[in-house]
Amino acid sequence: MTQSIPSGRGHHMLGFVARHAIGIAMAIMFLAPIVFLLLTSFMTSDQTLTANMWPQSWHPENYVEAFRKTPLLRFIGNTFLYAILATGFMLLASVPAAYALAKLRWRGRNATMVLIICMMMLPPQVTTVPLYMMWANTGLTGTLWPLILPMLAGDAFSIFLLRQFLVTIPDEYLDAARIDGCGEWRTLLRVILPMARPGIAAAAMFQFFYAWNDYYGPFLYTSENQDAWTISLGLASFRSLHHVEWHLVSAATLLTMVPVIVLFFFAQKAFVQGVTLTGVKG
Amino acid sequence: MPTAASQGGAGRVRRSLVTLTFIGPALIGILIFLVYPLVAAVYFSFTRFDMFNPPVWVGLDFWEYVLFDDPTVRIAAKNTLVFVLLMVPARTVGALLTAMLLNAMKRSRSIYRTLYYLPALAPPVTATIAFVLLLKPGTGPVNTLLAQFGLEGPGWFNDPDWAKASLTLLALWGVGDLMIIFVAALLDVPQALYEAASLDGAGRWHRFRYVTLPTISPVLLFATITGVIGTFNYFTQAAVAGSVASGQVTSGSGIAGTFGYPENSTLTYPMRLYSIGFGNNLFGAANVMAVILFVVSMTATIILLRRFKTFSGGDS
Amino acid sequence: MQRLLNRRTTMMVGIAAALAVVTACTPTEAPKPIATSGVEPTGAVELWHFFTDREAKALDETLAKFKAKYPKVTLTVKGGQDDAKVTTAIGAGTGPDMAISYSTDIVGKFCAAGAWVDLNPYLQRDGVDLNAIPQVARSYTEFRGKRCTMPFLADAYGFYFNKGMFAEAGLTEAPKTLAELSEMAKKLTKRSADGTIERAGFLPLFGFYENSPSHFAPMVGAKWLNDDGTSAIGSDPAWKELLTWQKELVDWYGYDKLEKFRASLGDEWSADNAFHKGKVAMAVDGEWRMAFLKDQAPNVEFGVAPLPVNKAERAGAGYISGNVIGVSRTARNPEAAWALIKFLTTETDSIVDLSNGIRNVPTTTAALTSPRLTADPAFKVFLDIFANPNSGTTPPSAIGPGYQETFSEFLQGWQSGTQKDLSAGLADVDVRVNKMIKLAG
Repeated sequence: MTQSIPSGRGHHMLGFVARHAIGIAMAIMFLAPIVFLLLTSFMTSDQTLTANMWPQSWHPENYVEAFRKTPLLRFIGNTFLYAILATGFMLLASVPAAYALAKLRWRGRNATMVLIICMMMLPPQVTTVPLYMMWANTGLTGTLWPLILPMLAGDAFSIFLLRQFLVTIPDEYLDAARIDGCGEWRTLLRVILPMARPGIAAAAMFQFFYAWNDYYGPFLYTSENQDAWTISLGLASFRSLHHVEWHLVSAATLLTMVPVIVLFFFAQKAFVQGVTLTGVKG
Repeated sequence: MPTAASQGGAGRVRRSLVTLTFIGPALIGILIFLVYPLVAAVYFSFTRFDMFNPPVWVGLDFWEYVLFDDPTVRIAAKNTLVFVLLMVPARTVGALLTAMLLNAMKRSRSIYRTLYYLPALAPPVTATIAFVLLLKPGTGPVNTLLAQFGLEGPGWFNDPDWAKASLTLLALWGVGDLMIIFVAALLDVPQALYEAASLDGAGRWHRFRYVTLPTISPVLLFATITGVIGTFNYFTQAAVAGSVASGQVTSGSGIAGTFGYPENSTLTYPMRLYSIGFGNNLFGAANVMAVILFVVSMTATIILLRRFKTFSGGDS
Repeated sequence: MQRLLNRRTTMMVGIAAALAVVTACTPTEAPKPIATSGVEPTGAVELWHFFTDREAKALDETLAKFKAKYPKVTLTVKGGQDDAKVTTAIGAGTGPDMAISYSTDIVGKFCAAGAWVDLNPYLQRDGVDLNAIPQVARSYTEFRGKRCTMPFLADAYGFYFNKGMFAEAGLTEAPKTLAELSEMAKKLTKRSADGTIERAGFLPLFGFYENSPSHFAPMVGAKWLNDDGTSAIGSDPAWKELLTWQKELVDWYGYDKLEKFRASLGDEWSADNAFHKGKVAMAVDGEWRMAFLKDQAPNVEFGVAPLPVNKAERAGAGYISGNVIGVSRTARNPEAAWALIKFLTTETDSIVDLSNGIRNVPTTTAALTSPRLTADPAFKVFLDIFANPNSGTTPPSAIGPGYQETFSEFLQGWQSGTQKDLSAGLADVDVRVNKMIKLAG
């Protein structure tokens, strides 16, 4: 993209090499701790956390052991359910809200925006108590619903993110749709959704990955009911008061990262499509 | 279907109703997940509450205690402010630069993107442990590597003068989430604008300053505000890093025992809030701290919203 | 404007109060009077505990015996819980009938708030002799006259030393006094040519591994709290004695050199533990360290002993802490829950089974001396520490471990040398702790 200025071929090569040199150096830094986990996952329990970071002997059976010790498959199923429902509900409520905040004119709009940002400000350490008491009254503690149902009201982080993406869409597109006789909902579905795909994809991914890795939420609401456990709770069962089986924790962590990495790799296409659309129209 | 242009009382009511279908669920969310816990926090800040018996009204006792009598609160507040000043700019600039580098790549783009995003995908506790052990002075590979070049590595998480910088490095390492947002935002900048600017003879910096920045400024605002709020609530990584660096990767009881290691340099405001409220059973004091944090976050947010309005020229 | 503000404030407070009544009030029934004698325990009981894996299995085996003995009690057990979760759930009215906690930190709060019921009436009715439990374990399970928990196994902390290094230096026995400890520590320390510490005889920094003021206090018999619940840290001269001794040893090494050395040591809970690796010759640690040493460092020849002390008459002391078990006031079938507590904490056979399975110290005199108890001579040292009247613990308080945390904060400044005035510093700790205790009510 920055290459749109005419430049000599040598200059081009130089830029290519420089970019990839920086790119690879950064990749190594970003990867180092992941490699550390990978190495740890093949160690004996006794070697973990020691200064010797290269496995003295290799134990791929740790991966089998991690599955044997806890019903990880069941936990993966629960986690998928939690992540998919939370993400779906979040989008259902947040996209329209973000649209109203970005593109509709109504009284109290700015104040509402500030209030939504305010929802991120109370430290979870104190909100936990009144909210848990509320859910205890509904009898839904012991399940993942107290984490999923709130998404029907949207998620502050996502609404704010989506709103910031939607304001960058020029009003002319909306006006054109409105003149064509589209109601606001139709305008949102037909015009905005396709154009805001990168932002929506980003918000959906964040929500999905957040739910996937969430530990405190599921622990608070489901620790007493193993049938509802998510992977992050399963990982915690490799630890006891004085001892953590880091080799199993590492193996299980990497295993549970695989689905989300694959998902991310393919979800990236959403960004590319987003750009061609705006590119054509803009 | 009447067009949006239709005027008159009925049209206005109808339009308000339509707007309500868009924003209604979020308004209910504000009531349940903001107003209710906020009112509860304000109320609890004036009471002694043991979570088992009805709260007892004690007036300003806990406010006095938090504001004047607990020197640890002041240390924690100062640390958190320093973290905001270090981490928010570092993460925002880091994410933007990385995103620009990524967008400059061609075919290899999606591989790099995935690699850079990996740390943000790892569970925070495990990721923090791995990161701290790599930087451990004496045994970690980073200082061993530096020693091969004849350099003596710093004490990183074990040195009170380096601990904050080390946590900032950790935050930069997990910059992938913000980077993705910038990648998406940068792709939204209309190509035509760049071409027009180039024809006008604008250099790289000018194109960045007068084309890229204004276009992505709403996303920049988002990154700054969520960064500030997130750093005000910075807890997990600081708690885990302290326990790993102190030589006790704690697994069960008493995580508060290693809070702030070394020498309280990594004790953040929410960590003090937690230990005071749940370790020391002064739930009222924790709520005072929460209300103060809320007010400070809101003030910072409003200032930022105003600043950005002047910066991006009126919109928002 | 003024009036408007007032009306608004009143309204807000009103809303808040209404909310609080809705949310904060869990069923606050008055404690039911207990049955006068021998009712048969029946009904459902749910128990939450923190054990996982091997330890949870050992507990399950003992619980199976309870089920066989009391077939009319239906027992549900849930492991892997933590104290914060148990507290939140009991507060919201969805908690378990009974729970085992890993720390005595919650005893003060749970007893004072009545979250767990006072067991005294049951103990008296069934004629349970509390003298069967050593005084120290009795003290950390009750608060302000309410015995809302019973001790469920315990940890004892003593002194470890490396026999190989002792032989090298011509030493044979563990240090008995603090003066001896300093002397041996200096003798066993090795430095490189540039003064860097290569091996520490004893690493005296607070905050290192298990070095905490609570674990060191029994060395001098230092007192934490007065009988009226206020802080005794500033007024008990024993603390000054301990800190002066500790600072002398820190300064002999040099604080900066010690911190640098400490940063180079492996993690406490790994095979790189400094004692395993011969980086320190002596250390204060819990009885569980023996199992780790056998497993991860079988070549290290070590000895165990009680803590070194300041006066000969205090010999045999160590630090004691334990798990506690209690019955929630919302328990559906308190008699059944009490039967389980009695079974787990007063019957010698079950205590011995649990100790053998989980490898912690049993908590009654009869169990300590039971021939069925698996105890090699080293483990026996810790059993003796547990039974020794000089051993100490950290007393329950309304602010949990708040008094220890405030003190530890001062100690950071003390050992690094930024805090020089010991008396003033300790007096300040008293003021801060007393303020917190007063606020906690």
